[in-house]
Amino acid sequence: MNLEEKVLEIMREAFETQDVSPSSSQRNCERWDSLRHLTLASELEEAFDIELEPEEIATMTDFSRVIEMLQSKL
Amino acid sequence: MTTFVFRNHTVEAFFGYDGVTYSGYDDISSVPGDVDRYIWFFQVPVNADSAQLVQEIDSYCDQLDLVIASVNENKPFIVFSLENLFPLRLTGNETSVSESVNRFNHHVIELAKSHQNIKWVDFSEFTSRYNAETLVNWKYYLMSQTLLNPKLAHDFHAWWQQINSQLDLQRKKCLVLDLDNTLWGGVLGEDGIDGIKLGGDYPGNAFFYWQRSLLQLAKNGVILAICSKNNENDVIQAWQLNPNMVLKREHFAAVRINWNDKATNLSELADELNIGLDSMVFVDDNPTERELIKQMLPQVEVPDFPEKPYQLMPFFKQLTERFFRIYAVTNEDLVKTRQYQENAMRHAERSQFADLESYLYSLDIAIDVIPVDEHRVPRVAQMTQKTNQFNLTTRRYTESDVRQLMEQGWHLFCMNESDRFGDNGVTGTIFLEPLDDVTVNIDTLLLSCRILGKGVEDAFVKTVLNLLRLDGYRHVKAQYLPTAKNMQTADFYDRLGMTCVKISPDGVKDYEMDLKQVFEIKNCYNIRVL
Repeated sequence: MNLEEKVLEIMREAFETQDVSPSSSQRNCERWDSLRHLTLASELEEAFDIELEPEEIATMTDFSRVIEMLQSKL
Repeated sequence: MTTFVFRNHTVEAFFGYDGVTYSGYDDISSVPGDVDRYIWFFQVPVNADSAQLVQEIDSYCDQLDLVIASVNENKPFIVFSLENLFPLRLTGNETSVSESVNRFNHHVIELAKSHQNIKWVDFSEFTSRYNAETLVNWKYYLMSQTLLNPKLAHDFHAWWQQINSQLDLQRKKCLVLDLDNTLWGGVLGEDGIDGIKLGGDYPGNAFFYWQRSLLQLAKNGVILAICSKNNENDVIQAWQLNPNMVLKREHFAAVRINWNDKATNLSELADELNIGLDSMVFVDDNPTERELIKQMLPQVEVPDFPEKPYQLMPFFKQLTERFFRIYAVTNEDLVKTRQYQENAMRHAERSQFADLESYLYSLDIAIDVIPVDEHRVPRVAQMTQKTNQFNLTTRRYTESDVRQLMEQGWHLFCMNESDRFGDNGVTGTIFLEPLDDVTVNIDTLLLSCRILGKGVEDAFVKTVLNLLRLDGYRHVKAQYLPTAKNMQTADFYDRLGMTCVKISPDGVKDYEMDLKQVFEIKNCYNIRVL
């Protein structure tokens, strides 16, 4: 499974919906609210064994920024 | 199912969003009525000022009381115990915070005893698996007010699911046990009374601990029964002679020790105890027997039995948690279960004896006849208010009425009854009004129905009349006033040997008798006059 697919999988679980795609963002995805955003961050930390700083978490507002952030960490 | 969660921190990561709505933080101002159940999940806030913190924690009790008073008492209300996830103790002897946490938890346990809908969940079962650094993730706490580490959400879900299934589960009533290789190691018929493994070194000590734990289960209201293929005489001897035997005959409400098939025996046990098969758990080391019960009586729970004796205690823990865990048993339930169990024991005893008298002897019945004093007035008045079945005149008296009668020189006695299965407490009373120096009238005579069937009423009245005879009374009068519920006492005075002098059209019967000689009372009662 490549990075994108893995992140989508984690997003589906964190947001409790199948309705996620590479174009998902906090703006266009109703389920991606501030609380679930933290669930996503926490799940990503666990899945990739990384630490995300609060400032970094704040910038991951859409799918492509999440991927960028992860690529910079891995 | 919809759930409403009262909380003081962010807990969405743990209970999710499906059918769950949340209060504001520390907010009890609105209590929705249209949900199926409520959860109270407060966590100790992090605050280095312990005096302030104690004040805040103490206020949770009042908040909880307010909420409980305003919800429908038929809806489940689950309260998590309060746990200090990140204790800050600035000095070694600072205990005020943990004391106030204990106060809250104690308060909840008391609530759970008096409210059938309130269930107490011991959250420390979950938190004790982790240290403070794992329990609180400060990054997430400061970003989202989620005090409990969101990374524990998966673990929490698993634990919470298990708790939920326990909450829904009907508590079982009766544990049916095999004997050989179940309550002790070895086979009694082959190894003999001293050859079975019970107490001493391993593996005997494993069975000893197991029996002791089962005894505690019995003391908490679980009915124990035996279903074993054995010679009953061998077992009776083992009960009497093996010094390490913790569980003896008296701890079992019913027994089937014979060579019949166990399915038949289990059905009979259910009948005798008057419980459903679905209230039973069957524990047997023999997989063939377990399989038989699973096939023939699918309502009975049949857990696997551990292969090794050292697994007995973990098995006991499992058994308790799965079937007998008490989440919200009231004190009253506990007493009821005990009395019910005692009655079952008495019933079981009766079927063993050919005649009633030898059965009564075996019960070791003790009757204390006590003149009513100030201390017993409340109980006596309560009995006149509540007793309907064995009550000759059904006259209701308040406490002050009773005091007044005592001042007027009436003779008031009550009775405390016990037998080898338990003390039944003050369960009968008689009020006698002196009409003149030699004549007394039985104004009130009643007994609680749970002690009937042992002839106690007869012994009680005769003892009292013997006492009055010693006081110089020579005549006694009495009435039977019929009600919808006291038919069983219609002939009581006839049986006592009194003469019915008048029957009114409305069924009222007047009786008289001379107190010529002392009444004889059967020897099977151990009577004390206090």
